[in-house]
Amino acid sequence: MSLVQIRNISLLSLKPQFSISRLLHTSSACQKSQSGRYRITAKRDFPLTYEMANPPHQIAHRKTWNSWNTSNLEGGLRSSETAIEDMFIRKFVTGTWHALFVSEIIIKRQHNIIRVAGIIRRSIGARKIYFLIGYTEELLSFWLQCPVKLELQTVADRSDVIFKYI
Amino acid sequence: MMNISKTLLRRGLPQANITSNILLSTATIDDKIEIPKRIPRGPTDILRALESTVGRDPTAAHYKYHDDPYLIPLSSSGKRIFAMAQEAGRKAAHWVRQEHADLFQHREADPVIEAFVPPMVYTEESEVAVADLEKLIEMRQVVDSAVVYRVLKEKNVEVAQELEQGLLELLCYQNCEDGVSEEFVEERWFRQASKGKEFVKKTWKDGDLAEQIFSKMTPKTPESYCAIIQGMSKYRQMDSAVQLFEEAQKSNIPLNTNTYNSLIQSVNMIKENFDMRWSLLADFLTQMKNSNLKPNLGTLNAILYALSFMGNPKRAKEYVLQTLAEFKNLGIEPSLGSWYYVILTFCKERGPVSTILHDIINHLEDKEHQIRDLKDTHFFVTAMEMARHHLNDVALARRIDKLLNYGDNYNLIGDSYKESVYFRHYFALLCDNLPLEEFMNDVYFKLVPHIYVPEVGIMAEVLNQVDVNGAVEYIPKLWSDLIVFDQSHRENLVDCILNTMVNNEQLVTPELTESFAKIAWDIYSRSINEEEGRVHRLNLTGDLLGKILILLVRQKDFEKACKVMDRLDKNQQTIAGVPKIEALALFVDLCIEEKVPSRGIDCIQYCTDCGFPEANSLAVRLHKELNLDEVFLERLTKVVGDVFSTS
Repeated sequence: MSLVQIRNISLLSLKPQFSISRLLHTSSACQKSQSGRYRITAKRDFPLTYEMANPPHQIAHRKTWNSWNTSNLEGGLRSSETAIEDMFIRKFVTGTWHALFVSEIIIKRQHNIIRVAGIIRRSIGARKIYFLIGYTEELLSFWLQCPVKLELQTVADRSDVIFKYI
Repeated sequence: MMNISKTLLRRGLPQANITSNILLSTATIDDKIEIPKRIPRGPTDILRALESTVGRDPTAAHYKYHDDPYLIPLSSSGKRIFAMAQEAGRKAAHWVRQEHADLFQHREADPVIEAFVPPMVYTEESEVAVADLEKLIEMRQVVDSAVVYRVLKEKNVEVAQELEQGLLELLCYQNCEDGVSEEFVEERWFRQASKGKEFVKKTWKDGDLAEQIFSKMTPKTPESYCAIIQGMSKYRQMDSAVQLFEEAQKSNIPLNTNTYNSLIQSVNMIKENFDMRWSLLADFLTQMKNSNLKPNLGTLNAILYALSFMGNPKRAKEYVLQTLAEFKNLGIEPSLGSWYYVILTFCKERGPVSTILHDIINHLEDKEHQIRDLKDTHFFVTAMEMARHHLNDVALARRIDKLLNYGDNYNLIGDSYKESVYFRHYFALLCDNLPLEEFMNDVYFKLVPHIYVPEVGIMAEVLNQVDVNGAVEYIPKLWSDLIVFDQSHRENLVDCILNTMVNNEQLVTPELTESFAKIAWDIYSRSINEEEGRVHRLNLTGDLLGKILILLVRQKDFEKACKVMDRLDKNQQTIAGVPKIEALALFVDLCIEEKVPSRGIDCIQYCTDCGFPEANSLAVRLHKELNLDEVFLERLTKVVGDVFSTS
């Protein structure tokens, strides 16, 4: 084997090595997804509901969507309006039912009906809850101009919906 | 056929091919396919069909309540409060929309849905047109249309005669005021509008807009006469109504059937006694005949209504039968309201027993009834009342109930008040006449609490039956019901339940003794813990405390029994009455068993305070059983004197 040959082989074998070394980088990876996730606290005492405990990639696996509608399917209508209205409903309901909802507010649309579901605490009397139901249903109907219904479940205490502490 | 061949195709091809060929060939043989005639369907027919498959579920609350343990009402006041609270919330939303009408002007739907848009506000300064008035009359907004009409008149706008007539009719029907909106279902269901008896006072608004429009009308049309006379007689302004009627007769103005109906209905208010009333009624009918008017269902009901309050029941009954026969010949089928009047006439409180209700039910049974007269909703409640008070007939009551639950007949129950009266009678009748076990299983556990919550009187009846039958096993359930229905502070019910528990000692099993003691203690602690300010407060008398004592002693719960005894002893001034001596004797026995002579001596002291002569023998027994030492003996001697030397 001549020197020239050796050189050629070594060049051949070294060439890819150069390109690999160019691909390596030593700074820390920066593609961490953060939205919809909760950070572990030092005391491990931060309460999470089941919904909060599951990160977004678990949607349709371990948990479901908070808005149910067909506006984003092919040929669906009013997708932007639906999104804005859903936001409005959420803001209105959390404000009207102050500190009462202990779950996410689920909004389900079927035909012209909007059903708003959720879990509330029993910290006010049943009579007041009925008043708020009547008020919310009626006022949202006036605003969205379609029948709106509330579907509520009550729990005795906020701790009843805690799934784990992190 | 299509379905069969499809399933075969899925199974396997060769077989399917053969079969489908066979099927096709058979189809060609009898090729006449009968296509059924198209049935025209309305937009809600599918919903109705679906709805007909679900009945009322007695194990669940009405669907207007939220399906959640915390939100399901159990007492009758709860039902009312929850439903009305929701309606109040809706009203608040209406108010917000009204106050901020400018924010609710967006148009989501095309065409616009009127129900979601805030209603117009009309004042004296509003810019109005005739079209507005027309729309308001269409929407039956009485007060608003009156305002608009006044504004139009001020501005000298010409209102067409027809429109004016429409307004007059609306004003006369509603007596110039707005009724409860159709939108507020619960308010209509819970208000007790027709609670009072039939004789109502004059409520017609004299000199209001209706009369003003009528007096300004030139020329006065027959329709306007009809409207104003009907309005006046509806709201019992009979003098003016009759005056206008005579005026119309003089000037030969033809009136319609409904006007005559309204006059016939009020003959009892125009004339004084039976003969004069009947002859006036007959006069009206002959006048109708002379003016070639065909009577309708309203005429029948008006006659029957008048007869049911006319006096002289014997002749009224005759006339009722004649009227019914006459209208049958005319081909007018009586409505439930007509039968309601018939029952009223025949089944008087102080009168011979009439079995006409049987015949009526025979006639009505197994049919679906529609509402055809406002009074139709009175039928079921009255029929049930008569089945209870007049006939006391269980079989009949069951048939009435079956009729009520047939098809959509339940819609004819009326309102919440009539519903509860209906069930009160049904319940009381069955409770009195059925064997208790059958009553509890088939009726009580089925209807209570979602369909009917027994009133205090009915509950007392049930407890009474339990006592008579010695069916002590129902007591725990009934007591928990009493608590849920908010009746646990009723003295008569507590008395009743304590009696039952005390009296039926021989039937009680050990488990029941335990739960009875729990109930007794519950009653006791409730009476203590209830705060002073409460309106309904249970005041335990000495007798009731004695019964509680007996129940606690039977369970050998010495500690709690002592507490009750202490209360008796310390509050002698405030507690009314004294317990029976048997209760005190039992307590002394328990003291002996527990070997606590001091408690026993306290009790004997109490006995002497109350003046029971048996105190001495109790003292002797205590001494004998426990061989009291000197200290106790001395105390006992202080209480009852020296009765021990003989023993």
